[in-house]
Amino acid sequence: MRKPEDATVEIELPADFDDFWAAGLAECALYPLDPVFTEMPSLSTDKVIVYDLHYTSYGGLRIAGWYTVPRDLTPPYPALVTIPGYISEPTIPKEWAELGYAALAVAPRGKLRSNSVFNPGYPGLLTHNIVDHNTYGYRGFYLDVVRAVDVLLDRPDVDNARIGLQGSSQGGGLGITTAALRPDAIACVAAGAPYLCGIMTAPTLTRSYPYEEINEYLRLHPKDVDRVRESVAYYDGLNFAPKVQAPTLLYLGLEDDVCPPETGFALHRALTCETTLHTFPHCAHHAGLPGVLRIVEDFLAEHLVPGAVNHAF
Amino acid sequence: MLSDLDFDSYWAAVDAELAAVPARPVLDLVPERTTDESTSFTVRLTSIGPYRIFGHLSIPTGDGPFPALLHTPRYGSVNHIPHPNDRSRYVVFAVMHRGQRRADEAFSAAYPGLLTTGIDDPASYNYRGIAADCLRAAEFMMSLSEVDPARIAVSGDDLAVLTAARRSGFTAVRVSELLFYRAMEARLTSSLYPLEELNDHLRAGSSAEIVGNTVAYFDPFRHASAVAGRTLVAVDDLEWSAPLIQAFPAAGVYKLTHLDGTDSEFLDAWLAELSGVSPMTRFLVG
Repeated sequence: MRKPEDATVEIELPADFDDFWAAGLAECALYPLDPVFTEMPSLSTDKVIVYDLHYTSYGGLRIAGWYTVPRDLTPPYPALVTIPGYISEPTIPKEWAELGYAALAVAPRGKLRSNSVFNPGYPGLLTHNIVDHNTYGYRGFYLDVVRAVDVLLDRPDVDNARIGLQGSSQGGGLGITTAALRPDAIACVAAGAPYLCGIMTAPTLTRSYPYEEINEYLRLHPKDVDRVRESVAYYDGLNFAPKVQAPTLLYLGLEDDVCPPETGFALHRALTCETTLHTFPHCAHHAGLPGVLRIVEDFLAEHLVPGAVNHAF
Repeated sequence: MLSDLDFDSYWAAVDAELAAVPARPVLDLVPERTTDESTSFTVRLTSIGPYRIFGHLSIPTGDGPFPALLHTPRYGSVNHIPHPNDRSRYVVFAVMHRGQRRADEAFSAAYPGLLTTGIDDPASYNYRGIAADCLRAAEFMMSLSEVDPARIAVSGDDLAVLTAARRSGFTAVRVSELLFYRAMEARLTSSLYPLEELNDHLRAGSSAEIVGNTVAYFDPFRHASAVAGRTLVAVDDLEWSAPLIQAFPAAGVYKLTHLDGTDSEFLDAWLAELSGVSPMTRFLVG
């Protein structure tokens, strides 16, 4: 019988971890953000104004997103970056704007609207150049989300003291990494069923995708296991966790076959910030959906104080 | 109001068009996905258009024939590869429809956007081709010598219902996450995608009458009476779904608990029992 809360998830911290990510952020800074917002009347409603967004990120790639603001509230708004899951495309985050937030739904490189240059495919992203941390596909992907925060910091209609991160699965994992890489800018993080934590342990605990991609890769390239381990250590949420300063909500399904709960508990132990943990027995990767959305909504409202009060979920 | 005559002639035309297009399947072995339990292949097939579509196929190890499971595609750019649990028990085929990843050389579906691409004319609506892609996948899977014709299942959303209705031979039909069922009413209940695409499209100048007429061709309620296999419909709202359940000749209903570990195990066990294989959990307990 598994006891996820007691499991040991070992991860090595590369000696040059901080330097590696500082170099990535420094390279990003070489490129002007050059955000372009285009209002989309046909996608907007009587409650929400929708903008198509493009900005420049790591390597000079243009990254897409959707930006929504509440039509009837006066800025500055509290803001959210919503981060997509592994196989999902970001939808237009109208529901968050209806609650009073400026919301930016980011499509990191490889997602459909940002894949003209980098397109590893799905499946494929998790193992794209996985033997080399310098060229691993997730490097730019992680930084694209950080740059989305920079886009919000650049907006005059956003209150820079009230920027949060929200997502589940890959969105939860990247909430943690982004909060760690921009600790001064993030006011709170809501992370469900966090992916990319305990990256080498997870494939030993599940046969479900996307982690099964690593099992398949190692079935074909068994001699690469040490290089893969070394590489993903730079990307593991457990190594980012101690750098997160913002209050963080974690929610886990105790029968999650996609992101094993052992890795979620390990993340909880690694976080040194103010943390709230909710666990859901008999739940898998949905991690308490749809009911948990009310908990998420209340957590974000407590820390970001939006102007509207109606519940969207 | 869509007439039965228009409905029948629309789908007869799809069948005729598909019958005129040879599938010309090409299978390629996938070594990294081949284990002691099963052998995996990628598959390319021709559907109407003509358009080459893509799929993941696996065959269990051992002496067949085996029960078979067709996964129709979800609404989204990516479908997961079939789970190893399914690959060990079933001949399983997961099809990517036109526009999805791996089937997007000539057309890349937009999200949001796919639901309304061509929707102002049923003849040009993109889902007409998508439905044909699923029918072609069914024909391909049923043609495999490893498949036991007495144990053929389809699992998915509205496309699973449509496929089971229009191709005989499915003995089990597992349905969840419906998109087209009462879509013109459901679109009014929130601003969440994908149904919000219908609202976006109407705001852009289309008419509810035109859109409603097109989506009616795909409403599982219109297809349900032609589904011969044992059917299980997993739903959130029993009252909302009652007309659909009653339209199937042999349907049971599963009320989702939203304890998705529990729900997943129930749905797996239902199909396993009908297929004569053991139920399996995705959450490894050992």
